[in-house]
Amino acid sequence: MNGYVEAGYVVGLGTLAGYAASLVARERSARRRLAGGGVRQVAAPSASESPAPGGEPSTVERPASPAAAPPPRHRR
Amino acid sequence: MWRDALLVAGKDLRIEARSKVGLGQVVPFALVVVLLFGLALGPAAGRGSVLSLAAPGLYWVAVLLATVLAVQRSFAIEALDGASDGLKLSGLDPAGIFVGKAAAVCGQLLALEVVLAGAVALLYDRHLAGGLLLVASCLAATVGLVSVGTIYGVVSSGSRQRETLLPLLFFPMVAPILLAATKAWDAALAGTPGRGTGWLDVLAVFAVAYLAMGTVAFGPLLEDA
Amino acid sequence: MSLTTTPTGPGRPGSEVPPAQLTALDAARGSGVGSVPGREGARRRRSGHDVAITATGALALAGVVATVWLGLWVTPPDRFMGNLVRLLYIHPSIAWVMYICYGVAFLASLLYLWPRTRSLRFDKLAGASSEVGVVFTGLTLVTGSIWGRPTWGVWWTWDPLLTTTALLFVLYLGYLAVRRIPGEPEVCARRSAIAALVAFVDVPICYFSVLWWRSLHQAPTVADPITGKTYIHGSMAWTLLLSFVTFTLVYAWLVARRYRLFVLAEREGDEGLVLAIEERRAESLQGRS
Repeated sequence: MNGYVEAGYVVGLGTLAGYAASLVARERSARRRLAGGGVRQVAAPSASESPAPGGEPSTVERPASPAAAPPPRHRR
Repeated sequence: MWRDALLVAGKDLRIEARSKVGLGQVVPFALVVVLLFGLALGPAAGRGSVLSLAAPGLYWVAVLLATVLAVQRSFAIEALDGASDGLKLSGLDPAGIFVGKAAAVCGQLLALEVVLAGAVALLYDRHLAGGLLLVASCLAATVGLVSVGTIYGVVSSGSRQRETLLPLLFFPMVAPILLAATKAWDAALAGTPGRGTGWLDVLAVFAVAYLAMGTVAFGPLLEDA
Repeated sequence: MSLTTTPTGPGRPGSEVPPAQLTALDAARGSGVGSVPGREGARRRRSGHDVAITATGALALAGVVATVWLGLWVTPPDRFMGNLVRLLYIHPSIAWVMYICYGVAFLASLLYLWPRTRSLRFDKLAGASSEVGVVFTGLTLVTGSIWGRPTWGVWWTWDPLLTTTALLFVLYLGYLAVRRIPGEPEVCARRSAIAALVAFVDVPICYFSVLWWRSLHQAPTVADPITGKTYIHGSMAWTLLLSFVTFTLVYAWLVARRYRLFVLAEREGDEGLVLAIEERRAESLQGRS
């Protein structure tokens, strides 16, 4: 045999294997983000607020727009 | 549809007449490209030199590059001041808008091609022969170029990276035009127009196909842009 | 259609989370365990589709192993090409898959544009198939080049098939770039579908113009055009057939996995939105208390 044949097989199958591996890795990271990362990331700010629910909420929650509060109440 | 097309084309040409971007920037750019080819492939000129032999191909590459600029300009004027919303809400037939915008760019490009042909004849020392085939292939090729350009112009106008996206989309698409127009010009300049008529057919088929596609697809694309 | 957007988890908060579940999330958050609903969702049940995809993958892998073994060791060298003929089991089948990729992407785009069959599933299928197609097109070019060098003496020749394939490669790279333009899913899908059709129409025009431009090509057949006799050994024919089946399976597996990635990304977007809304609500409720 000569180098060309081996090169063809290695390049062809190697690229496909690499692509497949990248798909698997991307899927895994997407699932991880969906399962934990996303929630924890969003949860972080509110978790830091939760230890002091009765303390001084009025000053901490200032940035939350008051206009956004009523609609969910009504929907409930 | 035709009235709408005239309206849009008139608007675009009037903007061009006032801003003179095409005249002041696109035409000089194409001339610069012609000069650059001369520097890259020169300095030998005259019969049989690389420049003279490659003149048709170099000419069409310069036209292709200029087309991208002209199309980008055509959609840049719609991006300013929410003009595209005005266009969407104007109630004009989308097919008419497509034909109008394409016609305006087409007119500018044809003017540019005349100037560029003179420059190529002069600088690359190539006598412009076979007038009819030359003009016919220019017309057909330009219609094809601006049809594809206008379709992809509106596709990429929704993107923030439109300056880089349009050339990537546009150049591979118009590869058949470059091929056919170059061959048609080759035949015309060599004094054997009989060899070029087949290529003229390719150009015509391409122009008709993409003109038709554009009139159908432009409506939904414009809505999304 | 075996590819559907199946929810793979039982308790996964999808796009329409009932208010009751949101309060449950609130409660979980309040108790300081931020990732409880997420961890529950991570334990996903293996649905029928997952099993089918895994089976396809296993078959494809077995096929690849068998093809390599047969191709490199079992089949005899060709009388004219010698050992170079072994590339026959790689290159034509990859090129064949490339055609499947673009065919499927084209059909899916068409089905998306047809009002009665309009569904984002077809958009995702078109995206998956064309991305895999670009990979296979690149491989077709590279393996073809590797084969061309020893047989024709050049890495590249401007013949119609090669030139059209190269143009296809850049055309669909452009299409993938169009797919990445941000926007509403429906808007993106329609734009991409139209771009796919516009690009697809270009392919035959490209092919025929390049064919006229330079019409020197070795016919892509396994038969001798002069004698009309096939010069292919029995085991070679079987291996060739196996390679076609194998790479088609590889294609199916890759597209299914890529498709699932689209589904996950979509769900991630939905979930991000739900969480953002719910987060904002929690904030405002706390602010009122």
